[in-house]
Amino acid sequence: MSDQRKSGVPFESDDASERQLWNELENLPQEAPSPRLRRRFYDELEHADRRLHRRRRWLGWITAPALAAAVGCLFVGVVVGLALRSAPAASHAEVAQLQQQVAMLNRNLVLDRLENGSASKRLAGVMEASVLAEHDPEVRRALLERAVDDRVHSVRSAAIDAIGPRVGSPAVGEELMASLEKAESPLVQLALADLVLRYGNPMQMEQLLRLSERGALHPDVAKHIKTSLSGNPV
Amino acid sequence: MQAVSDERLIQWVADGDASCLGTLFERHHRGVYQYCLQLTRSPAVSEDLVQDVFLRLLQKASSFRGDGSCKAWIFNIARNVTFDYLRRAERRTVSDEDADENAELLVDHRSTEQVAAGEQNLTLVTRALAEIPAAAREVIWLGRFVFEDYDDLARALGCTASAARVRMHRAMQQLNATFTRMNGVPIDV
Repeated sequence: MSDQRKSGVPFESDDASERQLWNELENLPQEAPSPRLRRRFYDELEHADRRLHRRRRWLGWITAPALAAAVGCLFVGVVVGLALRSAPAASHAEVAQLQQQVAMLNRNLVLDRLENGSASKRLAGVMEASVLAEHDPEVRRALLERAVDDRVHSVRSAAIDAIGPRVGSPAVGEELMASLEKAESPLVQLALADLVLRYGNPMQMEQLLRLSERGALHPDVAKHIKTSLSGNPV
Repeated sequence: MQAVSDERLIQWVADGDASCLGTLFERHHRGVYQYCLQLTRSPAVSEDLVQDVFLRLLQKASSFRGDGSCKAWIFNIARNVTFDYLRRAERRTVSDEDADENAELLVDHRSTEQVAAGEQNLTLVTRALAEIPAAAREVIWLGRFVFEDYDDLARALGCTASAARVRMHRAMQQLNATFTRMNGVPIDV
């Protein structure tokens, strides 16, 4: 196994005390990660693998077929427009159905963009998702994930800007608190708590404080919450 | 000798077989964890970073060019992820204090055990290592425990082999000076 202790690179200094220190380093204890790390990694790998397959499926759909779908939509739009002109009262139901299909396609494209490997596409996804997030739980969750977890700062900031003002609303607030309770990583907990601290209403702050006092959060995060709230009492 | 090389495994990951990443994780996660721990001094943060590193491999597998060992490439990614974290942590109020607290805990924990065992040199080496700058600590750690030649060490550090030699030389000088200051005299030869 590569994790086994190695002898190191050749030591090239002539200094005897440095050489002795180099030898002494060999005896340093090496901490092992907790077994939780392995479990979390394999869970996340499975999740990422599923996402990758879904993205591939979508990419298969989106490259040439997406163009065809767009042209198709345009064509259907023209046909419906002509039909409406010739028989205005007849096809309200068809139009509604068509609108629903277009909205669904749009939503799936937004979700796909939010998980895209390219930061600029994720950024575009964030802009589009902010409109849908209020009424669509899946888009809300995906947007929250970008706000908390995206490795690119500009995407994270845009997602925070998009979802932040909505944190006070019951739907987004509940989602946020549920994510906070489920999050195992202290970094994710910290990011979610910061969202509540920055945009939450007094009731959410109180909920946050209770959560931290209950020991449901990482001690460092709980401390951060208490420190922040002590300057801004609930 | 491993039945399947790391380079072959990462190629298979790039071809879409994510399960091969599990084998790479089993081979290297402890080393990456210990490296992150040396720099962040926080076990919880280091575990998060290890997870981040290996999931990043899934996205970046196709960018492995094979012009060095896969292990050096993995540690180069680990380095980028860790330094990104350290830069972000600097901007957060909570992290520095926590890192320091964790460092204290690490050092204190070791001291108690090691002093009890009469291993004072080791205790001082541990403390000296914790005190030198992160850039020196990482080159010593990678050079002592992870790599066996300067070419791989250089790839992990993102520099040339001769620059890696110079950095190692300076880092050992810093460790020696810090140890001597703490001990009052240089280490017994």
